[in-house]
Amino acid sequence: MRPPPGFRPGMPQQPSPQQQQRPPQPGMPMSPPFVNAAAPMYKQQQPQSGMAGTFSGSPVPRPRTPPALDGTPHSVPGSPPLASQSPTISAASSAPQSPITEQHHRTTRKRMYPEQIAKAYMDQPNTAAGPMDSFSSPAFQSQQQQQQQQSSPVPTMTAQGYPGTQPQQQQQFQQPIGNQVNQLAGQFGGMNLANAQVAKSIPLLGAAPFIADLNAPASPIILPQNSSITNSPYANAEESYKCCTVNAIPSNESVLKKSKLPLALVLAPYRTSDGDGSQVPVIADSVIARCRRCRTYINPFVTFVEGGQRWKCNLCFLLNDVPAAFDYDAQTQQPVDRWKRAELNYSCVEYVAPTEYMVRPPQAPAYVFVIDVSYSAVQSGMVATAARTILDSLDRIPDEQKRTQVGFITVDSSLHFYNMNSALPEPQMLVVSELEDVFLPTPSSLLVNLSDSKEVIQGFLEKLPDMFKETANVNNALGTALQAAFKIVSPYGGKIVCLQSTLPNMGTGALKVREDPKVIGTAKETPLLNAGSPFYKSFAVDCSRSQVSCDMLIFGGQYADVATLGCLPRFTGGQTYYYPAFHASRTEDATKFAHEFSELLAEQIGLEAVLRVRASRNLRMSAFHGNFFIRSTDLLALPNVPRNQNYVIEVAIEDELRGPTACFQTALLHTTCYGERRIRVVTLCLPVTNSVPELVSSINARAVVSYLANKAIERGLTSKLEDARDAVVNKTIDILGVYKSQVLGIGKGSSSPQLTVPDHLKLLPLLALSLIKHDAISQTSRISTDARSNAINLIRTMPLQLLVPYLYPNLYALHSMSPEAGEISENGVVFPTPLNLTTERLEPHGCYLLENGQDIFIWIGRGVVPQLCVDLFGVKSYDQLHSGKMTLPVVDTPINRKTNLLIGKIREMRRGNYYPAVVTVKEDSDPSLRLWFLSHLVEDRSDNVMSYQQFLQHLKDRVSYYEQKKGGIKDF
Amino acid sequence: MFSDLECDYINPIDLCNKLNQFVLPEMGAHAFLFFMFLINGSWFSMILNLPLVAFNIKKVTENRHMYDATEIFRTLNVHKKECFIKLAFYLCCFFYYLYRMIVALIAADA
Repeated sequence: MRPPPGFRPGMPQQPSPQQQQRPPQPGMPMSPPFVNAAAPMYKQQQPQSGMAGTFSGSPVPRPRTPPALDGTPHSVPGSPPLASQSPTISAASSAPQSPITEQHHRTTRKRMYPEQIAKAYMDQPNTAAGPMDSFSSPAFQSQQQQQQQQSSPVPTMTAQGYPGTQPQQQQQFQQPIGNQVNQLAGQFGGMNLANAQVAKSIPLLGAAPFIADLNAPASPIILPQNSSITNSPYANAEESYKCCTVNAIPSNESVLKKSKLPLALVLAPYRTSDGDGSQVPVIADSVIARCRRCRTYINPFVTFVEGGQRWKCNLCFLLNDVPAAFDYDAQTQQPVDRWKRAELNYSCVEYVAPTEYMVRPPQAPAYVFVIDVSYSAVQSGMVATAARTILDSLDRIPDEQKRTQVGFITVDSSLHFYNMNSALPEPQMLVVSELEDVFLPTPSSLLVNLSDSKEVIQGFLEKLPDMFKETANVNNALGTALQAAFKIVSPYGGKIVCLQSTLPNMGTGALKVREDPKVIGTAKETPLLNAGSPFYKSFAVDCSRSQVSCDMLIFGGQYADVATLGCLPRFTGGQTYYYPAFHASRTEDATKFAHEFSELLAEQIGLEAVLRVRASRNLRMSAFHGNFFIRSTDLLALPNVPRNQNYVIEVAIEDELRGPTACFQTALLHTTCYGERRIRVVTLCLPVTNSVPELVSSINARAVVSYLANKAIERGLTSKLEDARDAVVNKTIDILGVYKSQVLGIGKGSSSPQLTVPDHLKLLPLLALSLIKHDAISQTSRISTDARSNAINLIRTMPLQLLVPYLYPNLYALHSMSPEAGEISENGVVFPTPLNLTTERLEPHGCYLLENGQDIFIWIGRGVVPQLCVDLFGVKSYDQLHSGKMTLPVVDTPINRKTNLLIGKIREMRRGNYYPAVVTVKEDSDPSLRLWFLSHLVEDRSDNVMSYQQFLQHLKDRVSYYEQKKGGIKDF
Repeated sequence: MFSDLECDYINPIDLCNKLNQFVLPEMGAHAFLFFMFLINGSWFSMILNLPLVAFNIKKVTENRHMYDATEIFRTLNVHKKECFIKLAFYLCCFFYYLYRMIVALIAADA
């Protein structure tokens, strides 16, 4: 959305202020339909008169003009023509100024402008008010109103209580209608928020959960009008970039405590852009306006004062000078329109950083592959598949400037280095079997330029599978290999990619098989989920210091200690991939691994990054969850920033918040893989409130679940998994209890037979139940510690888009798909209606597809029609069908085509590199597979954990009890 | 030291490296003192120090005695509290030993 044409300093202008006094153009008044609430004020007149100038040649009324609004334009003649030019005065003094003094001030003020600004301002006196239009301090506004009332004969039905309404009119006609509706909705929402929410509260007990709304958009953030200076629809952060558990910030800590709500940010600043090609706007002119004190970047929520010469930081309220080059384009030597600058219009922008933001010249991406070539790795086909995948992906590795470097180490009981100097005809293998004190045989040529040595590398990768074909070596010295890889890459910084199939049992960082089937599912399991060797943590810290990141791809036949190996990616900003029981002879395994590995290599990563979140004064970032190393109290070090990783940051309130809004600004300073230093800035602005009902009504349930999941994991790893589950349930009860007592106002002791929740929280109990039944923290002895660690790693890094289906999978009936389901329509692939996750929905003759973003299950009921087996799987009957991982064959039948289309769509529709493999589960297949599938049906009672209805009953009882207890405390 | 970390004067890696040098010597000195009380038969002093020795041994066996740079921000408050309590304990002990020493000297004179 562009800012309005009449709203900026740089437009062609009316020659004199007198022109403002002319009667309104008939075509001009594009006022909104709710004039009664909006005082026709002087602010809105500026652009109107500006528009009058622009449109003077075309007095044709616009069709959009509502006839009822004919009364509004008379605000124009009465406007104080010159008041707008002296924002200093208006801002500084509370008394209304007479137009004459203001004119005087204007002229004196003008002389102080820097040249470019002065030029723009002198020529166009009335638009100089542009920056000021956004001034939202209530004092200023009321003073403006006074001016307005003095000078204009307009009926003064001013809405003093709604200071936001005034600029709306001026904005309205430049914004699309959709936005008007939003603003309107926002306005009404703001007025009777609490009432509306009470009215919408819905009963839960006895009803199936409303899963159709799982992916419904979160409730919009209702900001006071005029919070953003440009009113751009992109001014506030999208949920996928950054959102808060509560879309309103409590004004002080006691309100937060009273509401018992969690306050945390959920952010994925480096997510990939959507398929619609919308890119993050890049600001390349190296004009970076930042606050002198708090180092905030200029954003859509600042205010300009003193005629646009200075800006007021929205985080610490300090006045800063606007850089001289802010309104000037150095390339074209022309003044530019300030209101078009991306940083004032978009919540998420990227600056090209000048040299002050670099410690050293931007590094080129460097990849060192540490490949396990022990017996199990070779036998499972991992080495061959990996070599093939790297070979195929060599051209996809980001290498636009031909600077990317790669190196290879293979490891069993000794280390094998490869000299791939481009001068050599073929790679030279160097074996080092000394594990105690690792050294590099030819330090200079182990890391080679990818494009120079491409042929040598290709030759090496083609030979690699055969080189170790006959190996019988079952040992692995991963720790030593990592140290060697670190030595190779640490001068440059980069990425170590580990492909590990055997538990490292030699050299530094050797691990033991710790898993004991007896302790799984008990409180003693916690140590198994934590690192087994301090080496991996300290090594990760060293890596983080040298800007080296590690990615782990773990292949497990047996125990692989994902918990310990996962420490490396966790503290270096990498990612762990786990392939249990991998065997390349199964196509599904091989494709899954090859696809994910290839995506990992092709990923446009950021390098040498630091992430910092700044927030309005008196807000403090108190705890952090995600894959990174915390370098100082609020600085996260990320040697590599993978795409689509999620971070959860808890926020503490230290003191009373000032101002009507609170802002959170994330700055991610990184080097792109094309060697450019960039700063990605994401700004989120939220209203401040001191009413608990308003807080409750602005909860973002999905963000809350992401927060709960991360907290639960932390709790599970530090104390017991049982505590983690209890904490999740207790927090859910807190939230529902606060809603009941503070919003519904149901008094103590009155235990209602129904559990009612507001509309936006209706899925919270369901997601909380899914969470406590999830592999990561569930109470079960069925899951190996490796699988559990993997689930924990996934939850820690998954953005919301992936997390919700990962907790609550989608279930579709394949045998009874509607005709349009599974077909391509203009909106993409049509999915069948998702079903509730309960065995009641599984008919014995049915065939179902369940997906959670990691696996796709196809469940075949015992009484399935044989024709369906023929049509879908190409086998004659149910008996001939095999359970387990399988690729769905292509058969020329509608159901097979539709299913394949759905599977294809599921694999590509979400962000992230994950590629779910298809697992077919027959109803009478072996119990572990069956249980694995059934464990996803979270609405059922399983493993002695409540069913959904029981859980609701439990919540209801606890909420009533909580009321009584609380009521009791109140009485004393 | 911990407040230095909070004020960002030192980074967590350096802090942990510095502090970890002193963890084992401190525990060792304390254990030595405890051992001396044991062979001297100063039962009261020994019992006074017993809890701390047990606490230290527990920490070492659970491998939690070292400061962990990756966890330090989460555990900062615990560490601070622990340090203050230890300081107070050592201070009290110091005066108690001093008192005992003087008593012993006077007794020896007499």
